[in-house]
Amino acid sequence: MIHKSAKTPSLAVEAAELRREIIEALYACSGGHYGGSLSVLDLLLTLYRRILRTFPESPRHPDRDRLILSKGHSSIALYAVLRRLGFFDRPLSSHGQTGSPLEGHPDMTVLEGIDFSTGSLGQGLSVGLGMALALRGTERHTWVVLGDGECQEGQVWEAAMLAARYRVERLHAVIDANEFQEWGWNNSPEVNRQPLEELSNKWSAFGWRVLEVDGHDHEALATIFEDAASTKNQPSLVVARTIKGKGYPMIETDPIRFHCTTISELEHRELVRGGE
Amino acid sequence: MTFRLADHCGQYLSELACEDQRIYVLDGDLADSDGAIHFATKHPDRFVMAGIAEQCMVSVAAGMASCGLRPWVFSFGAFLCYRAYDQIRVCLSQSHQPVTLVGSHTGGLSARNGKTHAALNDIALMASLPGMNVWAPGDENDLKLAVRRILAGDKPAYLRLPRRPLDPLPGEAASCRWLTEPQPIALCGTGLGTHLALAAAQEYLPLYGLHVGVLHCPQVSPLPQLELAAALEQCEMIFVIEDHYRFGGLASLLQSLDPSAKIISLGWPNDWSGRSGNDEELLEMYGLAPHQLARSILTTVESSTSANRSKVLLS
Repeated sequence: MIHKSAKTPSLAVEAAELRREIIEALYACSGGHYGGSLSVLDLLLTLYRRILRTFPESPRHPDRDRLILSKGHSSIALYAVLRRLGFFDRPLSSHGQTGSPLEGHPDMTVLEGIDFSTGSLGQGLSVGLGMALALRGTERHTWVVLGDGECQEGQVWEAAMLAARYRVERLHAVIDANEFQEWGWNNSPEVNRQPLEELSNKWSAFGWRVLEVDGHDHEALATIFEDAASTKNQPSLVVARTIKGKGYPMIETDPIRFHCTTISELEHRELVRGGE
Repeated sequence: MTFRLADHCGQYLSELACEDQRIYVLDGDLADSDGAIHFATKHPDRFVMAGIAEQCMVSVAAGMASCGLRPWVFSFGAFLCYRAYDQIRVCLSQSHQPVTLVGSHTGGLSARNGKTHAALNDIALMASLPGMNVWAPGDENDLKLAVRRILAGDKPAYLRLPRRPLDPLPGEAASCRWLTEPQPIALCGTGLGTHLALAAAQEYLPLYGLHVGVLHCPQVSPLPQLELAAALEQCEMIFVIEDHYRFGGLASLLQSLDPSAKIISLGWPNDWSGRSGNDEELLEMYGLAPHQLARSILTTVESSTSANRSKVLLS
């Protein structure tokens, strides 16, 4: 069952502002990953605003919760949230530009607030499992945000098996289930085009407690994250049903092109006009 | 019981872990073959059997290291370096995480296991990753030195250990040292290769009237440049004997220092993938048995000497 509730105005307003910042920054830096950044934004914003214990003035504080954006190509969404929380004030438009710590994919060695470097898909959940094992006996939680396409990587399932075997608590995976990937099987009508068929059943079978939620409903997200965080004796997974390009119809209706692309000035103006 | 270097490593870590609470060991289901068993039995609370899943294991170790622990990841070298190379590249090298990979059964002598278990270009793979420290100890004392140096630093590291047990080498452990008196013609090795070099230098070459020095260099990357520069200053010819492909191993790394001495590489041929077999028979098949190495070295030295004589006569 998918949890839904009334929107929280403050997070909804903030999310709309951040989406606009992302759109402007991607245009200013000659393009990038539009679709997945807009689908994952509400998950990240809700986690950082309502769930995670963080210390923006002391980003490496040992008593913080950890978050790994395993689908690192959506880095600009993470940067937008961290910047809004005061982790840094460098403009988002420096994303991927020479000399900027806002690397194309999150790099913990150059930017405060990044708990682990990602970019090569499939590795984040294992890293998060290592963190959760190291933080056993503390109150700290580790959250790993994955893409549904990313779950095609075998290492994801190696980590899923190991975490369940050791009954690791305070480890939570969140899947940005936007139902698309870069190219996928859209040209193969005989094949199921979902990035991962029977996603929830597969994770349940691997020993995880699985919860599902509307990935753009901030209040429902906050409730389900709190529920996930209370899980005992096993790791938990939140399947967040999202829309690739959420908030911008031009992207929502053309998710393959907007996985990663560059757009003209005219298209940018049209995109902004159509936005939320 | 004859201990392999991997056994010494597991045992030494289990001793150090009594004082150093940061030390953890992860293993890819080879604990009774790769030395991790000694740690697993002494510190079960700090041992993680990560299953037959090396990619996950390396990344898990990286996550632990990012929280301040010092994880040591045990498996056969081939399964770490090849199966988990991307995880080593991204989670350790690019992310600056001090995880140590303990690779057993490296090199070409994999006994019955054969080519899938051989690690013949692992030095090339690991030494070319930014920040990665690589050690190929020649005996227990080397190994303990490497472990202490790795723990004192904050870099990711690869310990390259052979399947075959190694006897003690002469002298005190160091990142690089002469095992004999220095000579203008030197045999240089790391790990198991040093033992082949020492046998060729001491048991066979004197029979031909050729006296060479033996230089041992367990710290493979970064190379101990100052010590090597001092050692190589006295050399005219260096034969690098290695349990690795001729390309990409110690000889290639020494060549990158642009020494004035001529470097000749004697290792496994690059068109060989490894195979099952008895150690001595495999070495014989590829000209790496000490008596063959001695003949090969003698031939090269003689032809070089005669070429030099010709140059003198012509000038």
